[in-house]
Amino acid sequence: MLVAISFYLLAFVAIASAFMVVASRNPVHSVMFLIVTFFSAAGLFILMGAEFLALLLVMVYVGAVAVLFLFVVMMLDVDFVELKQGFLQYLPFGFVVALILLAEMIMVGAAYFTGETKALATYSGEKSNLERFGEVLYTDYAFFFEAAGLVLLVAMIGAIVLTLRERDGVRKQDITKQVGRTRETAIEMVDIESGQGVG
Amino acid sequence: MPNLYLVIPEILLAVSASLLLGFGVSKTKNRAPIVRLIAIAVLVLYSVLSFLLGSQDGEAFKGALIIDGYARYVKFFIGMAAAAGLLLAGDYLEREKLDKYEFSVLTLYAVLGMSIMVSANNLLALYIGVEMQALALYVMAAFNRDSLRASEAGLKYFVLGALSSGLLLYGISLIYGFTGTLNFEAVATSIQSNGLSAGVVAGMVFLLCGLGFKISAAPFHMWTPDVYEGSPTPVTGFFAGAPKFAAIALIARLVMGPFGDITDQWQQVIIVLAVMSMFIGAIGALRQTNIKRLMAYSSIANMGYALVPLAAGTVSGLRGMLIFMTIYLITVIGVFACILQMRIRDGMVERISDLSGISKTNRGMAIAMTAFMLSLMGIPPLLGFFGKLFAFYPAVQSGLTWLVVLALIASVIGAFYYLRVIKTMWFDESEHEFINPVRALSWTSAISALLLIGFVMIPFVARTGQDWISIAATSLF
Amino acid sequence: MLYQAIVFLPLLGALIAGLGGRKIGEKPSMAITTGLLMVSAILSWVAFSKVALGGHTEEIELFRFMDVGGFKANWALKIDTLTAVMLVVVNTVSALVHLYSWGYMDEDPHKPRFFAYLSLFTFAMLMLVTANNFIQMFFGWEGVGLASYLLIGFWYKKPSANAAAIKAFVTNRVGDVGLALGVMTIFLVFGSVNFDTVFSAVHDNQDRILSFLGMEFNAIELIAFLLFVGAMGKSAQFILHVWLPDAMEGPTPVSALIHAATMVTAGVFLVCRAYPIYEAAPVTSGFITVLGAFTAFFAATVGLVQNDIKRVIAYSTCSQLGYMFFAAGIGAYNAAMFHLFTHAFFKALLFLGAGSVIHALHHEQDMRKMGGIWKVVPVTYIVMIIGTLAITGVGIPGTGNIGFAGFASKDLIIESAYDAAHGGSAAGAFAFWAGIVAALMTSFYSWRLIFMTFHGKHRGEKKVLDHAHESPLTMLIPLGVLAFGALFAGMFFYKKFAYGVNDFWGHALPMQHAQIAADNLYAAAGTTMSDEAAGHHSYPAWVLWAPFIVSALGFVIAWFTYMYKNGVEKRVNAEGGPLYNFLLNKWYIDELYDATIVRATRWLGDVFWKVGDIGIIDRFGPNGVAAAAMSIGKRLSKIQSGYLYHYAFIMLIGVAAIIALVMRTVGG
Repeated sequence: MLVAISFYLLAFVAIASAFMVVASRNPVHSVMFLIVTFFSAAGLFILMGAEFLALLLVMVYVGAVAVLFLFVVMMLDVDFVELKQGFLQYLPFGFVVALILLAEMIMVGAAYFTGETKALATYSGEKSNLERFGEVLYTDYAFFFEAAGLVLLVAMIGAIVLTLRERDGVRKQDITKQVGRTRETAIEMVDIESGQGVG
Repeated sequence: MPNLYLVIPEILLAVSASLLLGFGVSKTKNRAPIVRLIAIAVLVLYSVLSFLLGSQDGEAFKGALIIDGYARYVKFFIGMAAAAGLLLAGDYLEREKLDKYEFSVLTLYAVLGMSIMVSANNLLALYIGVEMQALALYVMAAFNRDSLRASEAGLKYFVLGALSSGLLLYGISLIYGFTGTLNFEAVATSIQSNGLSAGVVAGMVFLLCGLGFKISAAPFHMWTPDVYEGSPTPVTGFFAGAPKFAAIALIARLVMGPFGDITDQWQQVIIVLAVMSMFIGAIGALRQTNIKRLMAYSSIANMGYALVPLAAGTVSGLRGMLIFMTIYLITVIGVFACILQMRIRDGMVERISDLSGISKTNRGMAIAMTAFMLSLMGIPPLLGFFGKLFAFYPAVQSGLTWLVVLALIASVIGAFYYLRVIKTMWFDESEHEFINPVRALSWTSAISALLLIGFVMIPFVARTGQDWISIAATSLF
Repeated sequence: MLYQAIVFLPLLGALIAGLGGRKIGEKPSMAITTGLLMVSAILSWVAFSKVALGGHTEEIELFRFMDVGGFKANWALKIDTLTAVMLVVVNTVSALVHLYSWGYMDEDPHKPRFFAYLSLFTFAMLMLVTANNFIQMFFGWEGVGLASYLLIGFWYKKPSANAAAIKAFVTNRVGDVGLALGVMTIFLVFGSVNFDTVFSAVHDNQDRILSFLGMEFNAIELIAFLLFVGAMGKSAQFILHVWLPDAMEGPTPVSALIHAATMVTAGVFLVCRAYPIYEAAPVTSGFITVLGAFTAFFAATVGLVQNDIKRVIAYSTCSQLGYMFFAAGIGAYNAAMFHLFTHAFFKALLFLGAGSVIHALHHEQDMRKMGGIWKVVPVTYIVMIIGTLAITGVGIPGTGNIGFAGFASKDLIIESAYDAAHGGSAAGAFAFWAGIVAALMTSFYSWRLIFMTFHGKHRGEKKVLDHAHESPLTMLIPLGVLAFGALFAGMFFYKKFAYGVNDFWGHALPMQHAQIAADNLYAAAGTTMSDEAAGHHSYPAWVLWAPFIVSALGFVIAWFTYMYKNGVEKRVNAEGGPLYNFLLNKWYIDELYDATIVRATRWLGDVFWKVGDIGIIDRFGPNGVAAAAMSIGKRLSKIQSGYLYHYAFIMLIGVAAIIALVMRTVGG
C-alpha cells in the first residue's frame, strides 16, 4: 500500500515537473524542475530496488548534468523570451501532435496491460546491486562497455577539436622542456681568474 | 577467444584509431598527412580483411555482433568509400588550413561505428554503433569551426541527431519492454510466439524513424540540405556515401530479421519513407542553386529509390538494394571528387552556375560529371540504369507496381535538375576557369566515371559480383 | 557481288565525301564519288545485259530488316528486267550528272557536300528500284525525298531555294501518306509486304471488301488508289505537281538527275512494279489514265508561256510523266517504261543543255534575256536541237522505230491509247486525244525554247554576251553521251521494250497488250508477226501519222511566232491576254492552294498550336506539371526554413503520422 502510494506520488511529481520544464518561463526554473524530475525518477528506481542506479542518477544527472545546464543558462545571455516567441504560433499544432502521440502511447500502454502480464524479474537480494552490475558488466556486456567507452572518447575528441585553440606567442609552461633540461643546458661554468674581473 | 577472429577488422580499426590518436598527440611535424595516409591504409586493410576473412560466419561477443556475408559485403564498400573520402579530403583540408590529424581519427571511429551498425545483432549494439558514428560525424560536420555555416551545420545535425537518438532509444525501450530481450533473434522468436502487439509495432516504427533520420529519408530529411551545404565539402561527400549505406543496411537487417514476421507493418513504414523521399528529393532539388544542396536532395531521392526494393521484402529486393547502393556509392564519390575540383584562384566555389562552360575549360571533369549526372538519371549505357533496374524490378515482382510507377515519375522530375547541370556545363558561357586539381581528385573522378560506364563493370555485374551480392542478400534469410 | 557493288558503291561514295569531305578535300571527294558512280554505271550495263538480254533474274537477301510477328521485311535486291532498266537509267544519268557537275559547280565552295548528296540520292534511288518488298521501297522512296529536299535547298542561303525545298518536301509528304496507307492496307489485306507474296495473292483477294467508317471499298482498288497517291506526289501529277517547277531552284544538275530522269519517274516505276494490283483494279487504272492524260495536257499548256528556261523543261517533264502514267493506266506498262527510259536520256540532255546555257550566261535563266547565242555555244546548240527533236518525237511514221528516242516511245504510247480507245475505253479515248494535243504543244514550246534561247538578237546585257563561252569538256562529254542516247536509244531498244522480243521483260511486266500493239503495227506495215494477228485491226494511217503531223505543226507555229520578223521581240514586249495570264500563272493553282489549303491548314495549325498545344497540352501537360513541381519546390524550400525547431517539429509530426498509419492495421 505504501509502495503503491509512493509510486503514484513520485510518478505524478515526475510528470508534472517534466511538464513544467517545458512550460515555465524562466529558464532557471526549468532547470530546477528538471532536477525535481531526476529526483523523482531516482525515487522510482529505489522503489524497484535499484538503489545503485538511483544514486548514479542523482550523482551524474543532478550533480553534473543539471548543474552544467544551470551554468550554461546563467552564463550565456540567451534571450529565452525571444526564442519562445514563435511558441504560441505553433502551440495548436504542437498540441494536436502531442495529443496524437499521447493517444498512440496510451494504446501501446493498454496493449501492455491487456496482453499477458509478464512476471517481473525479481531480485533475489543475496548480492548487492553493485556486485550484480559488476558481474555482468565485465563479462556479458564487456563489448558494450568498451564500445560505450569509445563513444565517450569520440565525444571527447570532438569537444577538444572544436574548442581547443593553440595560440602562438603565448609563453606557457612546457613541462617536457622543463624536465628535459640537463645540467649542460642550464649551467655554464666560467673560470674567472681572481682579481681580473669579468670584463 | 575464437570469436575475436571474426571481429579482427573492427579491432583493427579501434586499435589503430587509438594508436593514431596517441601518435597525433606527439608533436611530430606533418603528423596530419602521415596520420591520414596511415588511416587510408588501415581503411583499405579493413575492407580487405572484412571481406577476405569472411569464409567464416558467426557471432561475436555473446551474440552482440553477427558476421555474415551481408555484413562483409557492406563493410567492404563502407571501408573503401571512407578511404576514398579521406583521400579526397587531403587536398581540401590542406588548402583550407583545416588539416588536423583528428579528422582521420574521427573517420576511423565513424567507420568503426558503421561497422558495428552493420554487424549489430542486438539493439544495444545497434544503438552504440549509431551513436559512435553519429558523434564522429557531428564533429566532422563542424570541423571548420571558424566558419559560421559549418558550426551551424554541426549544431543542427547534433540537435536533430539527438532527437533521432531519442526516437531510437524510445523504440528500443518499447521493444525491450514488450519482448523482454535485446537480441535480434530473440525478438523475432518473441514476436513469432506472442503475435502482433501494439508495443512492438510502435517500437519498430520509432526505431525505423530514428534510422530514417540517418539515411535522411523524408520526413526526417530536414537536416540534410543545411548540413550538406554547411559542412566542409569532403565531409559532405563522406556523409552522402558510407553512413547512408551503413544505415540502410541496418534497416534492412532489422526488417528482415527481428521484424521479419510483421512484414505488413514495416512495409508501410518503408513505403511511406520511400515515396516521400523520392518526391521531396526530386521536387526540392528543382530550385537549388548550390551544388552541394542539390546533391543533398539527390541523396534524399536516391535513398527513396533504395527503399523501394526493400519494401518488396524479398531476397531479390535485398539484392536490388545492395546493387543500387553500391552503384550510388561509386557515383557519389565521383561527384564529390568533381565538386572538390571546383576551385578557382580565390577558393572553392559551389554554385551550379560556377560550372557553366567548363566543357571548354575543364573538359575531363565535364565529361566525368556528365557521366555521373546521366548515371544518376538512370540513362541506359551507364551503371545507374542497372541500379534502378535491379532496384525496381523486385518491387514489380512483389506486386508493388504502383510504387515503381511513382518512383519512375520521381525519376523523371529528378532528371530535370541533373540535366540542368549538364546543360550548364556544356552550353552556358564559361565564367571562370578552375585551377588544376591535384591528381587524387581527378583520378578518383575519372575512375568512378569509368566504373559507371558499365563496360568496365561487366565482370562485376556479371557472375562474380552477382554471386557476392546474392550471397550477401541470402545471408539475411 | 555485282548487284551489291552497283547499289552500295554510291553509298560508299556518299559516306566518304559527306563525312570525310573536309578532311580529304574537294577534288578527292569529287573524284571518289564520280569514280564510284562510273563504276556503278558500267556494272549496271553489265547487269542489264545479263538480266534483260540474258534473261537471268535474281533475288538476293542482304540483311534482316524487320521481323515483328507476321511482319517481315528484309533488305534485298530484286533483280529483274524492270530493275535492270532502272539501274541503267539511274546510274548512267547519275554518273553523267556527277561528271557534269565538275564543270557546272566549279565555283561553288561546298562541292563535297553536293557530291555526297548526289551519291546519297543515287543510293536511295537504287534501294527503291531494287526493293523486293514495300517497306524497303518505302525506305528508298523517303530516301530520295530527303536527298531531293537537301539538293533543292542546296543553296540554302537563297530564301526561294529554301521555300522550294520545303514545298517539295511537304507536297511529297501528302503523297507519302497515301503510299504509307497503301502499304499498311497491303499488310492488312495480304499479311505480307513482299512483292511476290502480295502479287500472287492479288487474284484470290479480288473481291475483298474493306469497310472503313461505314463506307465499303474494294480492297484492291483501295490499295491501288493509295499507292497511286504516293506516285502522284513523287511524280508530280496534277494536284500534287506544284512542287516540281519550284524545285528548279536547285542546281541544274540536280534538276536533270532528280527532277527529270530518275526520282520523278519513281511513281511510274511503282505502278509498273505493282502491275498485278493495277490489272485487278480497273477503276483506279481508268483514273490513272485520265489523270495522266490531263496532266500531260495541263502541263503542256503551262509550258507554252513560261519564260524561265528551266521551268519550261520542268513543265515538259511533268507533261511527259503524264504520258507515262496514262500509258500505265491503259495497261501498256512496257510503253510507260520505254518512255521512262528514253525520256531519261533526252530530258536529262535538255536539262544539262539548259544548264550549259545558264552556265555560259552567268546564271541567267530568263529566256527573254537570251537569244542569238548559238554561235557562242555551238555544241550546246547542237545537242539541244537533238534533245528537242527527240522530245517532239521526230521520226518516220509507220516504221515504229526509225526516229529519235522520243518518237519511238511516245508514238508507242499514243498508239496504245488508240488501242484502248478502240477497245471501248472512254478514258483511253480521252488519253489519246489529250496525248495528240499535248504533242502539238510540246513541239511548240520546245521549239519556242530553242528559238528564244539561241536565235534572234541577244536581249540581255551586252556584257553577259561578251563573257559567254562554251562549257568545259566535263560538261560537254555528258551532253554528248546523252545526245547519243537521245538519238539511238529509241531505235535500238524499240523492239525489246515494245514487243518483249527475246522474252525481254521476263515476268517483270505483262505482255498481252504489247502483243496486240505489235500485231497492229505489223499489220499496218503489211506484215504479220504471228498467225493470230489476222483477227486484229491494224492502226489506221492517221493514227500513225497524227503525232508526227502535230509535231511538225507545232514547229511551224513556233517558227512563225518567234522567228518570223523578229517575233520574239514583239512577243516579249506584248501584253498578254487573259488566256496568256491564266497560263502564265499556271492556271492559278498555286494561288488556289494558297487561298484554300495552305491558309486553312495554317489556320488549323494555329488553332492546334495556340489552343491545343499551348493552351491545353502544354498548360496542363509538361508546363503544368513543371509549374506544379516548381511551386511545390518553392513551398518545400519555405518549409526548409533553417530553424531547428521547425525541423524537429516536422520529424515529430512524421513519427506521429507513421505510427498512426501503422497502428491502424494493428487495431490497438
